[in-house]
Parts: sequence; C-alpha cells; structure tokens
Amino acid sequence: MEEGRAERRRRTEAPSCTQGGARRAGIMTDVHRRFLQLLMTHGVLEERGVRRLQKHCYRVHGRTAAVEELEDFINNINSVLESLYIEIKKGATEDDGRPVYALVNLATTPVSKMASDFAENELDLFRKALELIIDSETGFASSTNILNLVDQLKGKKMRKKEAEQVLQKFVQNKWLIEKEGEFTLHSRAILEMEQYIRETYPDAVKTCNICHGLLIQGQSCETCGIRMHLPCVAKYFQSAPEPRCPHCNDYWPHEIPEVFNPDKEREAGTSKANKKPSRSRQH
Amino acid sequence: MLQKPESGALPIPQAEGKDGGRDGETQALTASQEEAPSLLLQESSKEDLGAGREEGAAEPALTPKGARTLAAKALARRRAYRRLDRTVAELVQFLLVKDKKKSPITRSEMVKYVIGDLKDLFPEIIARAAEHLRYVFGFELKQLGRKHHTYILINKLKPLEEEEEEDLGGDGPRLGLLIMILGLIYMKGNSARETQVWEMLRRLGMRPSKYHFLFGYPKRLILEDFVQQRYLNYRQVPHTNPPECEFSWGPRSNLEISKMKVLGFVAKLHKKEPHHWPVQYREALADEADRARAKARAEASMRARARANQRAGIHPW
Repeated sequence: MEEGRAERRRRTEAPSCTQGGARRAGIMTDVHRRFLQLLMTHGVLEERGVRRLQKHCYRVHGRTAAVEELEDFINNINSVLESLYIEIKKGATEDDGRPVYALVNLATTPVSKMASDFAENELDLFRKALELIIDSETGFASSTNILNLVDQLKGKKMRKKEAEQVLQKFVQNKWLIEKEGEFTLHSRAILEMEQYIRETYPDAVKTCNICHGLLIQGQSCETCGIRMHLPCVAKYFQSAPEPRCPHCNDYWPHEIPEVFNPDKEREAGTSKANKKPSRSRQH
Repeated sequence: MLQKPESGALPIPQAEGKDGGRDGETQALTASQEEAPSLLLQESSKEDLGAGREEGAAEPALTPKGARTLAAKALARRRAYRRLDRTVAELVQFLLVKDKKKSPITRSEMVKYVIGDLKDLFPEIIARAAEHLRYVFGFELKQLGRKHHTYILINKLKPLEEEEEEDLGGDGPRLGLLIMILGLIYMKGNSARETQVWEMLRRLGMRPSKYHFLFGYPKRLILEDFVQQRYLNYRQVPHTNPPECEFSWGPRSNLEISKMKVLGFVAKLHKKEPHHWPVQYREALADEADRARAKARAEASMRARARANQRAGIHPW
C-alpha cells in the first residue's frame, strides 16, 4: 500500500529537499514534532524547562522509547532543521549564566518573529530601545530615555503612556527585561538577533573577551577596557585566588559572581529577580 | 538576507549586504533568469536531486566552449535550486509566524513577502513548504475552499488528553470558551443568535464589554478574534427588524474539531450521554461518516498521485 510506504518513509527518512548532496541525518517522530511546537510556543526556555518538555513529549507520544540524551535529541532535530535555515540554539542568561534554548533563524533576519505581534511604530520603538541599549555603558537603557524618542517613531503617532505599555508588552513577550526602571535585552532577543545586531551595529557592538559572543551586560576592565560576561567572569576566575585581567593583567576590580549550579536551584523561575549581582558599579 | 527589503512586514532595514557571494548569485541568476525556472521544472524530473553530481562531467563535453557552457549552466542551475530551497525555507518560517496569530494567510501575501519573482513556481514552492511543515512540525497546510487562495495550519499531532495538557498560557481558557460557544451553536441547530451567546456568557459571570482576567474583553475576543481566525462565522440575519446577527461554525472549527466531539463535551457538561439528544446525535453520526468518506477519498487520491509521480520518475521530496 503506497500510503503505508509513504508513512514509513516519512518516519525513517527526512525529506532530502536540497541539492548539493548533503543527506539529512535526523529522524522526526511525533515526540520531536511536539517538542518543536511547544518550544516555539514558549519562545525561549531554560534548560530545566527544556528537559521537562522533552520528558513530557516522550510521555505523550513515545512511551516505549527511551528518552534520548538532551544534547543528542537537540542535535538530531537540528540536523533536520538545517535545510530550513533554522536551529535550536543554546545560550545563557547574561546575569547568572542559566542555559537557555530558543528556535532561531540561521540567516540574518531582522525581528521578523516580532513583526507578526507588533505594529510598525511598536517595532520602531523596539529598534530605538535596542540602539540605546547597545550604545549604553551598562547594557541598560532607562525608561525615560526610551520614551523621549517617542516622537521620532515611524508609523502611527504614539503617546508616552502608550509607549510604556508597549515596553511592558516587550517584557511579557520576553524580548526585553526590566530592572528598576531600566531595560535590557532578554536572552531570547540576544539568541535570535545576535547576528543581526553584529551586522547592523558593527561599531557600537561589544563582545566578551572570553567567549567572543555578543555582550550586552557584563564587567569591564578599568585599565584596558576589555569586557566579559558575568557567567564568563565566574568561570574564568573560578579558582583564581587573585583575579587579574586576562588582557592587561591588572587587578580585576569587580565582585566575582558564582558559577551557575543547576543543582543548587530551589526557586522556580524567581531566582532571576532575586539573584545578585546588581548592575551598578560594574563598569 | 532572506526577506525582501521592501516588504512591509519587516520594517527594520536590511544590514548592508556584506555577503559578496550572495550578490554574485543574484547577478548570475539575472543572466539566466529566463532559463532557470523552466530548467528547474524539466530537470527535476530527470535528475537525482540528492546526489549533486557534476552535470559537466556526466554529459559528453563536445568542445571546450561547449563544456564551459555546460558548466556555466550547471552552476546557474545549482544556484537556482539553492535559491528555490531558501525560498521554501522562508515560506515555512513565514507561515509558522503568521499562523501564530491564527489568521488565514493569503497567496498574495506569500507572493508579496516571500516568493517574489519566483511566483510562477508557487505550486511547487508551497507543496514543498507543506511537506516540511508536515514532516518537521506536524502541521498540515490547508487551503480554505477551492476558490479562495487562503491557507491555515492545522495541528496534525494527536490532541492531548486533559492530564497530558501542558500549560500553554493564554490559549487554554480561550479555546474552552470557544468550545462552549460552538456547543451552543450546535445544540441550537447550527446557528445561534448573538443575544443567545451573550446570555450564555452572562450565566457564566461574564459581561461582553467588561475586562475579564482570563479572556480580556469577551466581546472583542468573540466578535473580532474568533471571527478573524475563522473559528466562527458572524452574519446578519436577513429580514430582522431591528437587525439581529447570528453565529455559526467557521471553516477552521470544522477542520479542528467535529460535531461529535462538541456533542460529547456538551453531554459531559450536563452529565448525560450524547444520545440524550437524538437529533444532534444522528447529525453527529452523519458528520462522522462524511469525514470518514472524505478521508478515504483524500488517501486514495494521494496514493494515485504517488503512483503517477513514481512512474514519471519524480522524487517526492
């Protein structure tokens, strides 16, 4: 029966839709599909949530199958996603180094995922906030400074009161984080837009001296100016008795944060708000 | 640079293209633009698309000039294939993003924002996009009616049992409300007056224009969102004075749920069995039979198509 064969082929072979000879290695089952669908719904998910999600998908669609190791599970899916120019990308939160995952575009596509949720003037507000954040020393832009740009927005005229609500919408949708009246990029935005940001703001963009990734928040050396992510600082200086700048060897003046330990986690999802270190006096 | 710079959906301007390779590609395509689309359609049935062998090597090189021409054509063909692949990938992303809002996507939107000048290849592009959506994500791309060029995505994964339900955030309560309305419509003979719907909401403790912590503004949710998402049809009842409006099931509801399921929900709500309402039960049974027939017909035509493709040597995906 052709239908049965087609079904079986679907299960065991990924569609080889690209020329150039690269064979797809991955196998998609309903477990993987459900995983993708739910990951897309969340936008971005912490590793703990991702593991729970994976187990949930096995429970629903593949009771008899053994739960694959997360890294292999994700690599398997990514090999299938390759021909669609998207991937499940792993990153870390900038303040405390929690691993996070999001489904991102591999090519440089500006905020197209946001484009379906926001109006033209709202997207322009985000762009203005993004520029302020990237240009800032601390990686944060104050609400006041963002709202002062409301008159320059493209599209329909927006009042400041409205802009405040739009900023809250960005926070709810995990594009921005707010701390004490100031805004910075959510790890979701960094994961999705890193390439776009590097290409659009090549002069203003900051990178981490250790991991060479895009840097929005971090610590900087007061002598030579190099910067590092907080989790990168934590890892680099983990067992160092006297922290010194990797570039100029000067004494590292900032408080060294702790390395993220998933086993020490007790609060569910509130830790980000409670965790120190605060951003002040880091730069 | 996957999206076209002029597209209105992407207001953020493109970064200055640093990828010289891609610019070179565009130039090569312009040179052989006329040829590329028709070549694709002819060659795809002859070639093994997955092997990527050198065309120049496989065909006899008649003269040095002939060999060069062949190689150039092969290169242009490969670039055209890659461009086609990327367009398919962009369309998949576009459909996924648009479907999040649950509003139907039109063919003209797809052509305007994604497909552009490859619009003659629209049938192939959308067919391949549909297969990716099915294989990778478990969504089925459904065309709403033969005449309209509008599409929606339906989730083909098995619906979750209550215990298996993951917290999907705002969607759950809204869909619950929708099912209540679909139930009301069905039990009232497949259409319900607007006043009847607000009456039901009032019994549930909701006022149409009063903000509800789960649903937002119910009136907006029902009259705008559900109608726009094609879950409900909303029309004026002719010959009514003062003019009244009524709701009926929208095309998406017919695709995503069935009369039998909704009857089952209503029955559970009243702690009775579905056949407690013989008229609705009979209608639901007839609907189930129709669905089974339609499914059998679709499977038969898919088999026939697969056989025809095999005979013509066209590789499915």
